[in-house]
Amino acid sequence: MSRASANDTRAYLFLLPWFAGFFCLTTGPTLASLFLSFTSFDLIQAPRWIGAANYVRIATNDVSFIASLKVTFFFVAFAVPLKLGFALAVAMALNKGIRGLPLYRAIFYLPSLLGASVAIAVLWRKLFSGDGLVNKVLALVGIHGPSWISDPDYSIYTLVVLSVWQFGSPMIIFLAGLRQIPHDVYEAASLEGASKRRQFFKITLPLLTPVIFFNAIVQTIDAFKAFTPAFIISEGTGGPVRSTLFYTLYLYQEAFAYFRMGYAAALAWVLVLIIAFFTAVSFITARYWVHYDD
Amino acid sequence: MTDGMHRRPIVGSGTVVRARALSLGIHLLLCGTSLVMLYPLLWMLASSCKPENEIFSSMSIWPSRLDFDAYVRGWSGLKIGFGRFFWNSLVISVLCVIGNVLSCSLAAYAFARLRFKGKNFWFALMLGTLMLPYHVTLIPQYILFLSLDWVDTILPLVVPKYMATDAFFIFLMVQFFRGIPRELDEAAMMDGCSPWRIYRKVILPLSLPVLATAAIFTFIFTWDDFFAPLIYLNDIGSYTVQLGLRAFVDSSGKSDWGALFAMSVLVLVPVVAFFLFFQRLLIEGVATTGLKR
Repeated sequence: MSRASANDTRAYLFLLPWFAGFFCLTTGPTLASLFLSFTSFDLIQAPRWIGAANYVRIATNDVSFIASLKVTFFFVAFAVPLKLGFALAVAMALNKGIRGLPLYRAIFYLPSLLGASVAIAVLWRKLFSGDGLVNKVLALVGIHGPSWISDPDYSIYTLVVLSVWQFGSPMIIFLAGLRQIPHDVYEAASLEGASKRRQFFKITLPLLTPVIFFNAIVQTIDAFKAFTPAFIISEGTGGPVRSTLFYTLYLYQEAFAYFRMGYAAALAWVLVLIIAFFTAVSFITARYWVHYDD
Repeated sequence: MTDGMHRRPIVGSGTVVRARALSLGIHLLLCGTSLVMLYPLLWMLASSCKPENEIFSSMSIWPSRLDFDAYVRGWSGLKIGFGRFFWNSLVISVLCVIGNVLSCSLAAYAFARLRFKGKNFWFALMLGTLMLPYHVTLIPQYILFLSLDWVDTILPLVVPKYMATDAFFIFLMVQFFRGIPRELDEAAMMDGCSPWRIYRKVILPLSLPVLATAAIFTFIFTWDDFFAPLIYLNDIGSYTVQLGLRAFVDSSGKSDWGALFAMSVLVLVPVVAFFLFFQRLLIEGVATTGLKR
């Protein structure tokens, strides 16, 4: 055996677990799911080839799909900008050289770390129930709050608030980004009499665009994939009246409540296309608004 | 990221008073935000040790008297005690941590240090898997595990971690390994060390920060995971804590919120403990790598 191929063999041994996973758990299943998306399959009888029928039904004849798309887009469109706006505002405040920064940063980060737990979704359900804490606080200022969780007009907002509550991790990334901006840029600007407002729009924001871009992509993809809170708050139904039927929740129901595996596989591929579309659009538009140092 | 690195605000022509007022205003705002953010958590903690009738009559986070009865009721609130769920979650999480750290570091070492044919090709594919939402592989994986008779065991949750399926952690480790001076491995190689020995005796001991970051985040992600246990574990005896909580909501939880809150608090304790002990490592992990939690 030549030396080079002995080296190759050794390297492949290190990669053996990864290769096993890559082929058995990633590539193989990806191809299989593409195949399944063109079949009707209930786990009992063999998959039956039905051509593009699943995709046709998704596109033309599935009210739940449309509902889940609406809910998910609404959630993404509200939760992501609010969360990022909040994260940026707090990061700016923390970046003013204030005392106690580590403590504040830790407090704001904690919800990010806890938020994915069922325990928090349980808490949320109780906070926003008719007789919950939120309505008690609102009553103090004379507002009679609705029964947030069980009212289809409001239930989605409780999930938006839950998402915004977890602004800690994008905030930490913003904070790291703000620290990268050289201090003398601001000094020069303020010597020339630029107002704080002008400095924000002309210095901070442009120099921060790469970080904003990164956070926006990560948070958007994450929002598209949200599952647990909607599942817990609606007891797995996506209700009331499909108002919290997130895309992933609908996919879960099709696959694991009704065992329509072929249809669910097609839904998964549509999700991939949606996410890929948004990512591609972001990268294309990034050329016009993301400022990179040359 | 130490306190000493903070920039001082630019103070114009000696307007110290204005700067002070501004700083005070910011502190008030931040304190207010902190309070609003933490209040729900504190309220849950308080509610778990309040007398039952006080939970919804009072918004206060000070119980009139401490009453831990809810913990007793919650612990054995389902037909199988929460102790079992904690044990199940612990076993799964620890096994996942070991698998992830081991398999990802092996792959990362090959990508960062070894020379072999097709390295760039495989590395690019590995990064490509980062983009793939797990929903695509979900159904075929389920069918695979079903046909292996692994459903209702912990194997579908644990085994993938031994196959380096978390590409993000491979990437993280590759970046870190690349920062270790090459002279160290070369010196070891001169002494006749095999790559395996270099990996074990040089690279791993020098990479404790990144290994710890990967281990802690794997633990937290696994502990919090709801989706995978939901589809793979049907028998209540094999439930994780997250499934246990969910079952609790569906059964007695609607009437006994004290007990449900008590169990929720217990489920959060390990994550909060990691947060308290490894705060700096976690925050730096997010700041430098963009981990999304």
